[in-house]
Amino acid sequence: MKNIITLFMSLAFLLLSTQPSLAQTTSKDQIEKGKYLAVAGDCIACHTAPEGMPFAGGLPMHTPFGVLYSTNITSDKETGIGEYSYELFRQTMHEGKGRAGHLYPAMPYTSYTLLSEEDTQALYAYFMSLPAVNQSNRDNEIFFPFNLRFGLGFWKALFAKDIEFEKDPSKSVNWNRGNYLVNALGHCGECHTPRNITMELDQKRPMQGNVIAGFEASDITPLRLIAQGWTKPDLASLFKNGYSNKGTVFGEMSMVVYHSLSRLNEADMNAVTSYLLDTDVPVQSKPVIARIPDAKSPGHNTYVNMCSGCHGLEGQGKPNIAPAMQSNATINRPSLYNSVAVLLRGIPSQKYNATTAFYAMDSFEELSDEQIADLINYMRTAWTDEPPNASAAQVFRIREELEGLDLIGVGSGHVEF
Amino acid sequence: MSQTINMNINGQQIGPVEVQDHTMMIEFLHEKLNLTGTKFGCGAGVCHACVVLVDNEDDTTSVERSCISGAGYFDGKKVRTVEGHAKTNEQGEVSELSAVQLAFLEHYSFQCGWCTSGFVNTATALVEKLAKQPINKDQVEKTVEDALQDNICRCTGYVKYYQAVKELILKTPGLTV
Repeated sequence: MKNIITLFMSLAFLLLSTQPSLAQTTSKDQIEKGKYLAVAGDCIACHTAPEGMPFAGGLPMHTPFGVLYSTNITSDKETGIGEYSYELFRQTMHEGKGRAGHLYPAMPYTSYTLLSEEDTQALYAYFMSLPAVNQSNRDNEIFFPFNLRFGLGFWKALFAKDIEFEKDPSKSVNWNRGNYLVNALGHCGECHTPRNITMELDQKRPMQGNVIAGFEASDITPLRLIAQGWTKPDLASLFKNGYSNKGTVFGEMSMVVYHSLSRLNEADMNAVTSYLLDTDVPVQSKPVIARIPDAKSPGHNTYVNMCSGCHGLEGQGKPNIAPAMQSNATINRPSLYNSVAVLLRGIPSQKYNATTAFYAMDSFEELSDEQIADLINYMRTAWTDEPPNASAAQVFRIREELEGLDLIGVGSGHVEF
Repeated sequence: MSQTINMNINGQQIGPVEVQDHTMMIEFLHEKLNLTGTKFGCGAGVCHACVVLVDNEDDTTSVERSCISGAGYFDGKKVRTVEGHAKTNEQGEVSELSAVQLAFLEHYSFQCGWCTSGFVNTATALVEKLAKQPINKDQVEKTVEDALQDNICRCTGYVKYYQAVKELILKTPGLTV
């Protein structure tokens, strides 16, 4: 009997003593969840300066209206968001209105407005749990009249609405999760959807591609992706390793892969790829387009002399050095913007993980507009389904734009003498 | 397919000669011209063991990777390889090494020597550039590091290469101000 009493007492004690830690567990779970959501939302990419403390802000963002600096979102009470109540945090995320007033839409609140209440709470719990970093925000260098934040209020009244994410009942749970990850957290449309003259995302052309800072955020509509032959494993490989049999990611997207997409769990990766291809069932893969290139084509010698050393005479590429050109999605698309931009800018070397890396591509700015057009047409004919209709005039316009942005040759990092 | 090319290598006119499309410059140097001083390292344009110099019309010099550039890329160009730096006598024997080559020997810069021709070429391009555009003495260290950053060595660990080039620049009149 005594033993039974002791047992009950110990049980009661156990229950009592575990109750406070139960509450802690919930909060810990919430923080963990928030941490994952912050990864899926890629918050770190903008809110961290090069070699700066994570989430302490200070990254310059070049906009047509001047330079914006991202802000400190650590829990520091003075310079971060430590003083933010949940309500203010929610308002910032969903309505773009923080302590400083209306936020520039560089903060993708037009997408984050779709976040669920539960997820917004988890994100709040996570950011409040981050170590405080005392680092003052830099003043933006936005010129008149765009520096007047009340103007943003008008813009927001017209174009930024606090809307709730609506599930499509005709689609699967998986697809709807993908939609949420792509459009709310991932805020993919902020780059991939074209903007109209008022800088509002043009929802009539969702995800149809948009040129930003000298690269084109690709057309990622299901129609285009399927035309290019993407399958779910191809997309998952691109998002996981920065590489797939359709080529590599480069520019800003390589950072999105590194910080965010490569860290999605398997279920979410499947959801994202299902949503992007608009199907829950596997997509039939297309055979790799590997025709024998036309040696009489005017682009032939340029390719052979300057490209084939890495990309292969037959466009087969070299593992961990240079991607294949066969069925490469950068060339296998109607727009030639990125083909030209890659040739003129070059790409810095990219390391995605311990086993996947690609070596830097030089800039080939010395090629004439005509040579570049010929080269693209040569590759299009051999390794894509696109017609060889690139023209020197088109190349000239892209070169001019890149020159204006001072981006020619930036990627190669080559030593000049 | 093939291309017919001409070029000037180490002051000597080569061609017209027919090369197959798959012929990279290093293969052309080794197999057609018996210039074997240029070394094949990674074969992917990373290690810079295979670099050769191209003297451009605008008086600049480019460092080009011969393992990933087709021989046709050098058509009509003025090329220098590691064989072209030392002075030779009438019998074609080496009579005097270049300043960069001597500096590397004096500093025991290399061990197996596979990367050396690449280092000689890159360092030569740097020294020649400084003769045209001298720099301040306090910039030498960084300039050498920046210039040689692409050349990979797997034996001696760079220190002696960098030191050799740095000292050569500092002691050669006209390279610094």
